[in-house]
Amino acid sequence: MNPNTSYTGPMFARRDFLYSLTASLGPVAFSSMLAQAASEQNAKPSRVAHFPEAKAKHCIFLYMEGGPSHVDTFDPKPKLSELHMQEFQRNDERQSAMSSGKRYYVESPFKFAKHGESGADICDRWEHLPKVADELCFYRGCQVESVNHPTANYHVNTGNRFGGDPSIGAWVTYGLGSENADLPGFIVLPELAFPQGGAANWSNGYLPTALQGTPLRSKGSPILDIAPPAGVSRDHQRKNLDYLQEVNSRLASRHPEHADLAARMQNYELAFRMQTQVPEVLSLDNETQQTLDNYGIDQQPTDNFGRRCLLARKLVEKGVRFVQVYASTWDSHDYIAKAHGALIPTVDKPIAALIADLKERGLLDETLIVWMGEFGRTPDNGVRGGGLAYGRDHNPNAMTVWMAGGGCKAGHTIGATDELGATAVENVHHIRDFHVTLLRLLGLDDNKLTYYHAGRFKQLSQFGGQIISELIG
Amino acid sequence: MFLRRPQSRPILLKARVALVSALALVLCLQSAFASEPAEGEKLFALQVKPLLETKCVACHSSNLDEQEGGFDLTSREAFLRGGESFGKEVVHVGDAAASELMMLIGREYEGMEMPPKEAEKLTEEEIWAVRDWINAGAPWPDDARVAEIYAAHAEGVTMATSGGLSDAWTNRKYKPEDLWAFQPLQQEFPQLEGKTGNPIDAFIDQQLEERGIAPAPQADRLTLIRRVTLDLTGLPPTPKEIDQFLNDDRDDETAFAALVDRLLESPHYGEQWARHWLDVVRYADSSGYANDYERPNTWRYRDYVVRAFNDDKPYDRFVTEQLAGDELIAQTEAAGHSLSETEKAELQIAVGFLRMGPWEHTGMSVAKITRQLFLDDITDTVGQVFLGQALQCCRCHDHKFDPIPTRDFYSMQAIFATTQFAEVETTWLPRENLKGMKEDRGYHQQRHQINQQLLKSINTERQRLESEWFAAQGLPYKSRKEARKAGASEEEMPPTTLFGPQLYGQERIGRKWQNRFTWEFDRYKPVAFTVYNGKTRKPSANYNRIDMPADPLKQGELEQTAILGGGDPFSPTIPVKPDVLSAVPMTGEFPVPAEYAGRRSALAAWITSPDNPLSTRVVVNRIWSYHFGRGIAGNPNNFGATGKKPTHPELLDWLAAEFVRNDWSIKDLHRLILNSRVWKRDSLHPEAESLAELDPTSSSYAVFLPRRLEAEEIRDVMLAASGELNPELGGIPIRPDMNLEAALQPRMIMGTFAPSWVPNPLPEQRNRRSIYVHNLRGHRLPFMEIFNQPGSETSCELRDQSNITPQVFALMNGQEAYDRAVALAVRVSSETDSPEAAINRVYRLTFGRFPNDQEVELALDHWEQMTQVHRTTTVPAVEFPTKVVREAVDENTGEPFTFTEELVAYKDYVPDTQLSDVDIETRGLADVCLVLLNANEFIYVY
Repeated sequence: MNPNTSYTGPMFARRDFLYSLTASLGPVAFSSMLAQAASEQNAKPSRVAHFPEAKAKHCIFLYMEGGPSHVDTFDPKPKLSELHMQEFQRNDERQSAMSSGKRYYVESPFKFAKHGESGADICDRWEHLPKVADELCFYRGCQVESVNHPTANYHVNTGNRFGGDPSIGAWVTYGLGSENADLPGFIVLPELAFPQGGAANWSNGYLPTALQGTPLRSKGSPILDIAPPAGVSRDHQRKNLDYLQEVNSRLASRHPEHADLAARMQNYELAFRMQTQVPEVLSLDNETQQTLDNYGIDQQPTDNFGRRCLLARKLVEKGVRFVQVYASTWDSHDYIAKAHGALIPTVDKPIAALIADLKERGLLDETLIVWMGEFGRTPDNGVRGGGLAYGRDHNPNAMTVWMAGGGCKAGHTIGATDELGATAVENVHHIRDFHVTLLRLLGLDDNKLTYYHAGRFKQLSQFGGQIISELIG
Repeated sequence: MFLRRPQSRPILLKARVALVSALALVLCLQSAFASEPAEGEKLFALQVKPLLETKCVACHSSNLDEQEGGFDLTSREAFLRGGESFGKEVVHVGDAAASELMMLIGREYEGMEMPPKEAEKLTEEEIWAVRDWINAGAPWPDDARVAEIYAAHAEGVTMATSGGLSDAWTNRKYKPEDLWAFQPLQQEFPQLEGKTGNPIDAFIDQQLEERGIAPAPQADRLTLIRRVTLDLTGLPPTPKEIDQFLNDDRDDETAFAALVDRLLESPHYGEQWARHWLDVVRYADSSGYANDYERPNTWRYRDYVVRAFNDDKPYDRFVTEQLAGDELIAQTEAAGHSLSETEKAELQIAVGFLRMGPWEHTGMSVAKITRQLFLDDITDTVGQVFLGQALQCCRCHDHKFDPIPTRDFYSMQAIFATTQFAEVETTWLPRENLKGMKEDRGYHQQRHQINQQLLKSINTERQRLESEWFAAQGLPYKSRKEARKAGASEEEMPPTTLFGPQLYGQERIGRKWQNRFTWEFDRYKPVAFTVYNGKTRKPSANYNRIDMPADPLKQGELEQTAILGGGDPFSPTIPVKPDVLSAVPMTGEFPVPAEYAGRRSALAAWITSPDNPLSTRVVVNRIWSYHFGRGIAGNPNNFGATGKKPTHPELLDWLAAEFVRNDWSIKDLHRLILNSRVWKRDSLHPEAESLAELDPTSSSYAVFLPRRLEAEEIRDVMLAASGELNPELGGIPIRPDMNLEAALQPRMIMGTFAPSWVPNPLPEQRNRRSIYVHNLRGHRLPFMEIFNQPGSETSCELRDQSNITPQVFALMNGQEAYDRAVALAVRVSSETDSPEAAINRVYRLTFGRFPNDQEVELALDHWEQMTQVHRTTTVPAVEFPTKVVREAVDENTGEPFTFTEELVAYKDYVPDTQLSDVDIETRGLADVCLVLLNANEFIYVY
């Protein structure tokens, strides 16, 4: 009964347990709860997209943690070959210690070619992605603000560099709800190691707790404690649950006005069901060998990311709204040829398979795929101890983002960076505008998807932004 | 009369005080000089222009960069010209119905709703005003005329401040109700005349009467002792304490008052209430962000807060010490008094408050930006914590709703412009608990040695590889170093890829850890995490203790604060002097010195002035909100126009006045509140349904609102029930068992992995109260997170209580829950001699009451049933690891490597009693206990 838990947002009803319970109570119980909630808050009980014509209903966000280098993947810069190894000095109070001092330009170790009818620029380390080149919409105009990983991760994921705000997935699920009552609407498939900044990257922020991204861990228990201790059987648990029901009944009859009591008991039942359903969802047993092969499962170096890409497709099929898949770590300060050269093949085949697979299943139109990191990388490198190592530092002024499916402008490259790839110069937009565009593709209006908190209506873009209409198909 | 001040410069302090003391809120009277404006002019000046300014011109200005759709709304000519979409059709002067503008603001055109933000859409009245104004010919008087009309005709009150960036802001009028918090405290309370008893009851009952609501009866003693014990100590009453209270033959009120007094003397009171304060100040033991370095020794601040509550340190002193502890030392000494080392240390620790937010400066940070982050953060935090004003809005502009100009934000910020970080060695305080430090240091030393060993062997390997390489090349060198000395060329050097990813990756981790571990030895030294006044030095990214300079004015820059354009530290505009908020009406003068020292004490003096209406209301409202689960004003950190208005404003003022009269005693305030009939009401109303109708938002206090235990309370109450709780106070942070998978999960920090979470080896070290848990921003206990422990980024005014499935997994399946259930079963088995007695005991230890016959029967049945289950199944003991192997991809080479971390303290680990350690019957009983620990009656407080 803490007043802080009440919904004050314009979209729908009150306390967050409704989320975890939606429909799982059975239609009657749920609708009566909802009716009660709706009358209390005078809010709309259902969640309808602001732009019903939008195609995307789901989003798979491929997060390349560490900041992939645009100039070594999708944004060729021949000029760098001319300048390769040329030294220069940078001193500026707006620069960090790391990006100051003696520096030199670094050419890309990779060759570029044009692919597909659209002539997309893709470097030669990508062997599979070119097959779906015409499904991709490259965007080279995006800029961010932070050059430290955790703050940059927060910025891309939540719109706020300092963390603590709701992540995109939480906002989208807040706006569109989940289609599956027994699964969270927002699922994260992290690497075994969480990214810098940790779980705040998929935080619900000030939105209800149930909107927090649920990380399904890639090893061990997918959700912490989802399984009882070894030796405790399902029947054993059922007996305990039945007893709990009886123990709780006395208080429930004494306090019929206290709705939390019933809700909490229902949550135990939901948890009990999830214990069997989650492992079912995670199992790849029903996939054909061909599918497994396509994603590079049981092959190296693709197994790790391939499994999670396939799982992302399965989750979307199950009605999960927003899936974020992490691949780390692209933070190649040194030896870009080896580091990026090794990383690209870990994600290349799985991503190409994911796009093809969704397309084949007729799901690509309604599933927006986003590929990006927290920033791009510099065309130059600092001279550090141990000689010249041909790497790149962090660059908030230029990066490549691409999208596929979900009504994006496939087969186009939008925006451009300067001749070095140092900064975006054409169709330049702050990340907040990309956020607004992402929501728009999913049928949501950033200006309407607001939540009243700490004295004002807050939104993903923080203070509002502009749709980058060139990215919309 | 309408007091106006010159706008071109910040007003001098004296003048301001004079103005303020002449009464800040001046009702606007019609000016005799303004010529009577036409209706259209009035509409423009009073309604349309403010609308344009707050909702339109940000995107429709004359500046082309801020002009969407080519539409400029800053002059009549531009307005009539229209924009790209509608041109002149946008407005037909004199005919609103034909004007496209009406369609836009009426949100008739999809995708072109104006203003675009749903939350900013115009109200019906606002739309009518625009309509009537167009119909009246859309007159557009100039700024001077608008100001004249506004001053003469606008409703509302003006507020004297230091002045906004525009005259219009400075002279704007507020709804009086939005300024409630800025009003001087009411001092006379006629409604109390002739009333006896607790004035809280008088205030609350008066409103109940007015609303025709009957209050619930008083709760029974059993309910009350559980409620009040959990409230004040965060622990459950013991069966003995319950019996004593139930059998106290004094009258209810006297017996309860005595109980409150007893609890307030319990040292656990300080732990529980310090926890609330730590939420507000965002306490954590690490820095957050990329490195999440441990902060030695922020726990000393945590214990300072516990002591402050236990000692009932007057709140004014508490505030002053936290804002200006270091200055108090200097001032006391300057006044010729000497302070003991202990007294000094206490004050240096207290002022660590200023550094509780997340903060770091790395090699990739820009110094001016990280400094500005601190300044913005502390300005906003002080506003929220002490004044109930979220100030961050004013970083970029004058406040949209509250009388706080951006000038005030930077004047407040200037108070901190000379505040600098330092970690200094003090003396340990006699009251600080140093127990366990030696053992902990032993384990840390071992970790450190293992890591040094690793680095040494890597170095040996490096030398071997290098000398082999030189030999193979036929070069005469043994090492890179030697070759460099001899002037070898780049081509004669071994490639940096000579190392495989294994050595490279391991070395990287080893070096990072070397740095961390070395710094972490500060844990065992009496280091205070504190501040001093002086010049701002260039921060280094050497991740190490920040020393106090011998001369604080020798190095660096003495910051001169200015209003920052758009909040950007590289865009200073108008310089400001350190000062407090100008809109707060005060009777005294509170000059803030321009000198580099003494600014924060001046701020503290202002905040703790008895007639500061913000700070006094804020603190009593906070205390109230923890007792009732809601504030009299519903947003304890936001008393501005957008915060919830107080439901009982007179009561709030009376409490604030009473609090000051009682010398800022928080314990007295607890007594006052807890002994009221309002607080002792039953949570069940005899006519719950009609109450729900009469009081749908539960604002009447007719019933007591039940609450769910908070995260730390759940763990502590379980430990108390199972008898495992070690009630020791204070000291270095503890590391309880964390879900093993979460504890060992690799966690990225800058360039490497963080060391794993390894619990304290002995149960009595681990099973202490949750306030002592090592609170790493990047690695909190999942158990705490899922039960709504707030993140430590921003100040938390009041916690949420959500109901999500991970809570079920933690309480039903988690190892810690099982451990508690087993311990509880073992405890009651040893304390009783029959199954019935055992069940009685479990009920008393968990719910605080005896079970009825039916409940005993149910429990016995379940016990029997589960004993049968345990006869055929075995729950194996958990195996605890002594090392963990990390598989990682080296970020430089993109190639995999492995790294083995020795989990030193696990070698001596003594697990809590496991299911497999106890007999079959006890295992069955443990299931009964587990269920009761999951029960609603356990988790909710009525």
